[in-house]
Formats: sequence, C-alpha cells, structure tokens
Amino acid sequence: MTKKQNLINDESEYGVDSRYKTSKEREHDAVNLMQARLERMKNLTKEQILRAKLLQLTLKMESYLKDPVYDHQNHFADFLQTYIDAIYSKRSEFAKDINVTPVFLSQVINSHREPKEEFILKLMIHSEKVFKHVGSFQKKTWLQIYFHEKLCDTMASQDTWKPEIDKQVTFTASIVK
Amino acid sequence: MPVENKDYKSISKTRYFFDWKEERKEEVFKVVLKGQNDILGLVSIERIPTEWRVHIRLLTVSKEHVGNGKVFENIAGNLIAYAAKIAVADFGALACVSLRPKSSIAQHYIKKYNMNVTGTTLSIEVPEIVDLINQYDHD
Repeated sequence: MTKKQNLINDESEYGVDSRYKTSKEREHDAVNLMQARLERMKNLTKEQILRAKLLQLTLKMESYLKDPVYDHQNHFADFLQTYIDAIYSKRSEFAKDINVTPVFLSQVINSHREPKEEFILKLMIHSEKVFKHVGSFQKKTWLQIYFHEKLCDTMASQDTWKPEIDKQVTFTASIVK
Repeated sequence: MPVENKDYKSISKTRYFFDWKEERKEEVFKVVLKGQNDILGLVSIERIPTEWRVHIRLLTVSKEHVGNGKVFENIAGNLIAYAAKIAVADFGALACVSLRPKSSIAQHYIKKYNMNVTGTTLSIEVPEIVDLINQYDHD
C-alpha cells in the first residue's frame, strides 16, 4: 500500500462530518438522492425485497424482546401476520404449508384464539427453513415473543388479577410475619 | 448503544476528533466492548421518515483505533451497520443510509461498504444494506 493510500485510509477511518450546512443543501440532496434511489428500486428483485422485509421483522422482534412494552397490542399475532404477508400472497397457503386450517390461523392472527404449542413449533421450523437463505434468525425467537408477551401482560394487569388471587394465598404456618 | 449525558464528560475532541457536545440534541450512539465503558467509536444520525432515510451526521473512531497502531478493526463498519439496522427496522425494503464524506476519502467508503454515489452523497440501500448488516453487525 502506498503512503497516499495509507493516508486516505487513516483519514476515512477517523470519521465523517456529513452535517448539512444550509437548508438549500439539504433539499438539493433530498431531491437528487430520491430520484436516483427510485431508479435503483425499479431493479430490485422479489427475493431482495423479501430479504429486507424479513430482516425488518427480525429487528423488530429483537427490539421488542429487549425493551418490554406494556400495552394492549397483541405482538405475537402482529409479528405472525407480518411474517406471513411478507412471504405469501394468500394466508391460506401458509395454513396449508404448516397443516392447520385457515380458520384456526385467522383466529390466532385476530387474537380470538391462543396459538397451541404445536402451532408455535411448526412456525419455528417454517422460519428456520425460510431464514436459511436470508440471514440469521433464531427459531426460538417465536417462543420468546409468545412468553415475553404473556409476562408483560401479566405484570401490566396486576391491578386486575392480584386482589382476588391475593385472597386465595394464605399461610398456615408463620413463615411470613 | 445510545450515548448518555454522563458520557459527554469523557468524549473529548482530542480523542474523538469532533466536538460531540454539539450533537447532544441528536440521536448519538456509541460502540463499546461488551461489559466495558470505554467508547471505541461514535455516530450521530438523523431519521428522515419522509425519505425513508437515516442520514449519518457525524461518525468517528477513537484516536487509538486509527492508523497502523490501531487495536480494533471495523469500528466504522459497525457504526454504519448500526445506522443501517435503524433504517431497515424503520423503513424495511425502502431503507437507506446516507453520508457525505470529503471527496478525497469517498472512494474508500464506496469500495469498502459498496455504496452508491449521487453527486457528493453516498448511500447504501437494499440489497447492499442487508449484506452490510449481516457482515458487520455483532452485538
């Protein structure tokens, strides 16, 4: 490597200052970049789009597991829906592929029914096969999401269940003063 | 990891090349070794949802990791990959990360990170952005 190349490498490693100095500069950049990107997007293949969508799903699932969210949303069902819609044009095709009825699948997606353990296991195997050509995805993530959500929901709704359950827990011996 | 207010005490211009205090109001992230506090590199970003884009405002690697005597490789790559993860999580298949290095070093970024060139702006999008994340992202 020449001295000049070394210098360029060192300079590029220490960093970049890309801050826009003026709003004109920013607008100019926005227009030109968007035009160029839209042109490039025309050449994207279905497989490339699918890889990006599945990576997005993975990142969102990881983020949900890292930062507990206490809300009334059904995260497992939402992630499942995103997963299926990224891969299939019809949800019934996915149902067929994992050997469940479309009605059962629809009930799980719409949170009208709990997914059975067997359903989650099938989903794990399905994901393992799909992600094989996409990138890293740990199949246990589906189980983690399911139980993480249960945990968050249970802790968030203590006001509802705790008073009644509390009454049913008593100590015959003087374990607790 | 996000930079916390207390971190700014140890982020000097001598070691991190820029005045990072100017970025306090922006989203700033640091790369550290697992279980350690020492900051190896920093990046500040701007999310631009209307353009499905994350723009890298400022990026740096700490002084001792630049040049021949550097201890760790790929710190800049990890920081760009982190911005790429944010872009893909937010914008999916439309995701884009942009930055504007000086013309003298642009070629380095184009070659190393497989970036596209539009005027003076470099950007990475699908499909290259997915490969970048898979290559550099190590928690």
